[in-house]
Amino acid sequence: MAPDQTGDQSVPHAARGTQDIAAGLFLIAVALIAFWQAKGLPLGTLRSMGAGMLPTALAVLLGAFGIAIALIGALRPGVAFERWSFRGLLFVLGSIITFALTVRLFGLVVAGPLTMLIAGAADPQTNWKHTLIFSVVLTAFCILLFKVALRLPIPVITFL
Amino acid sequence: MEQFVDNLALGFSTALSLKNIGLCFLGCLVGTLIGVLPGVGPIATIAMLLPVTFGIDPTGALIMLAGIYYGAQYGGSTTAILVNIPGEATSVVTTLDGHQMARQGRAGVALGIAAIGSFIAGSIATLVIAALGAPLTKLALLFGPAEYFSLMVMGLVFAVVLARGSLPKAIAMIVVGLLLSTVGTDLETGQERLTFGIAELSDGVDFAVLAMGIFGFAEIIRNLENPETRDVVRGKIGRLLPSKEDFKQALPPILRGTGLGAVLGILPGNGAVLGPFASYTLEKKIAKEPSRFGRGAIEGIAGPEAANNAGAQTAFIPLLTLGIPPNAVMALMVGAMTIHGIIPGPQVVTKNPQLFWGMIASMWVGNLMLLIINLPLVGLWVRLLKVPYSLLYPAILLFCCIGIYSINNSTSDVIFTAFFGLVGYALLKFGYEPAPLLLGFVLGKLMEEKLRQALILSRGSFATFVERPVSGGLLLVAAIMLVIALLPAIRKGRDEVFTE
Repeated sequence: MAPDQTGDQSVPHAARGTQDIAAGLFLIAVALIAFWQAKGLPLGTLRSMGAGMLPTALAVLLGAFGIAIALIGALRPGVAFERWSFRGLLFVLGSIITFALTVRLFGLVVAGPLTMLIAGAADPQTNWKHTLIFSVVLTAFCILLFKVALRLPIPVITFL
Repeated sequence: MEQFVDNLALGFSTALSLKNIGLCFLGCLVGTLIGVLPGVGPIATIAMLLPVTFGIDPTGALIMLAGIYYGAQYGGSTTAILVNIPGEATSVVTTLDGHQMARQGRAGVALGIAAIGSFIAGSIATLVIAALGAPLTKLALLFGPAEYFSLMVMGLVFAVVLARGSLPKAIAMIVVGLLLSTVGTDLETGQERLTFGIAELSDGVDFAVLAMGIFGFAEIIRNLENPETRDVVRGKIGRLLPSKEDFKQALPPILRGTGLGAVLGILPGNGAVLGPFASYTLEKKIAKEPSRFGRGAIEGIAGPEAANNAGAQTAFIPLLTLGIPPNAVMALMVGAMTIHGIIPGPQVVTKNPQLFWGMIASMWVGNLMLLIINLPLVGLWVRLLKVPYSLLYPAILLFCCIGIYSINNSTSDVIFTAFFGLVGYALLKFGYEPAPLLLGFVLGKLMEEKLRQALILSRGSFATFVERPVSGGLLLVAAIMLVIALLPAIRKGRDEVFTE
């Protein structure tokens, strides 16, 4: 259903499935965190399950899958671990967090353009002049749409 | 038969109210608008537009969401034909002949036959849903907790087997989804679980937050990695309406595609994805000149597009009758229903007949709407396709932020969404498909409830799941499916289906 994320034609192959090793380790980490969080909860019995039964069982199961996937990666040649785009991560997630931090403080008038400009930095192809103009226009449009038309209680200007 | 007509009449009287027509229209329009953007598939589209529907009454909201879904599907086909970038797995097939037709100056006819084929398929599929809806719900009402639990297990197994990529990884994603569903206050004991002491998590992970982060934001970051090479068809779109000859050539594939898609769409898992592939293969096999395929054969668009739309619609059957979402899009529908206080399942048809039949009737209305919207608006979509991604994605991000904030007027929701964006991106990099995670998350609460109930009834014995005939049968089917998928020969074939 999702668009073709694997880029089928040019999957880099490696002597070991480093992607699977990393994927397995990731699951093991998630499992350990869940196990640690569920530790204090009563397990109960099968006849009357406690709050901790399912999370603990799932954490153990997940850990087992993590080990299996990491082992598959370590023993068989497979897909190489892909490089992460830290630029995209930093600016896209940064813009979302900036929105969260500024929307109540200053209102949409500031948060809107700021979010779009920070997000723009994620793509080297960004044309700053266009993005700047577009961010102002779109913020105005959003205020009209969400505040005036849909009457959502979103702060527009808080500092005047 | 009489009941069938009565039900449809009730449905159409609901769907054809002025407000619901408006919502259906709006849904189709914005769905196409977002779906047309390259790299934004239907799941991401629905996840992004989910918050828009929260202020509307449940029936209207679901009608609008269904409209968004069809719009997104059709938008994906438009992109496939005009730009040769499939917006989603199901429109990969459309790029093969559709883009070739566009290059030959027949983009208009390709778009037209896709719309007409989808409309015909949608109309037939609507009737199938209406016919199967009532009897299947009656069947489901006989289910006890053990049967329900086993049914969900079977649904998840199908989802894994019919998905792309590694089997253990897909199962692991379901487990992660189940684990995420346990976050928050335990309904039975009132104890907080896996909340890390964060007060905002005591109600559990918000569905819209998870979906928007994992599907919306992660995909945006992912798309940024590939520098754009967009090859929007230049020159004329040409006439939209196919000639009589074109239509004659396309009609049989449309009907065959509808049949294939409708049957595969009912299957749990990504059955709907298989429809277009199966239809294309079939048309190529029975064609007099198979060599025309891949060079702009109209049958190569008509069949798969019809199969795609029919499958997209019959996928609603397991959701509406059994309450089990067969794929990630339907999981989003479950999330939307739950937010409106409707628990999907067989009881919906008796408790909320207006909603149930209204939604089914609106499917047909939505398909008609797409035909009306898309044919005249093609020019607009073409222009939209020429807007560079670097300008579009900051706008999408801002829209998503406002949407997420507006659900609960909560800035922490926005931050959680950013966190799930990071998680979603990591999952993609580790080679995990996020769709099974969403299915596990959506089914998790219900599965735990039914598991507990069944075990109380059986006094803690797991044997109950195997001993009860219906439950045991369902588990047996699930086990057989898993074993078949693990057989080396089949596994190879499965890989081929998904990589072809």
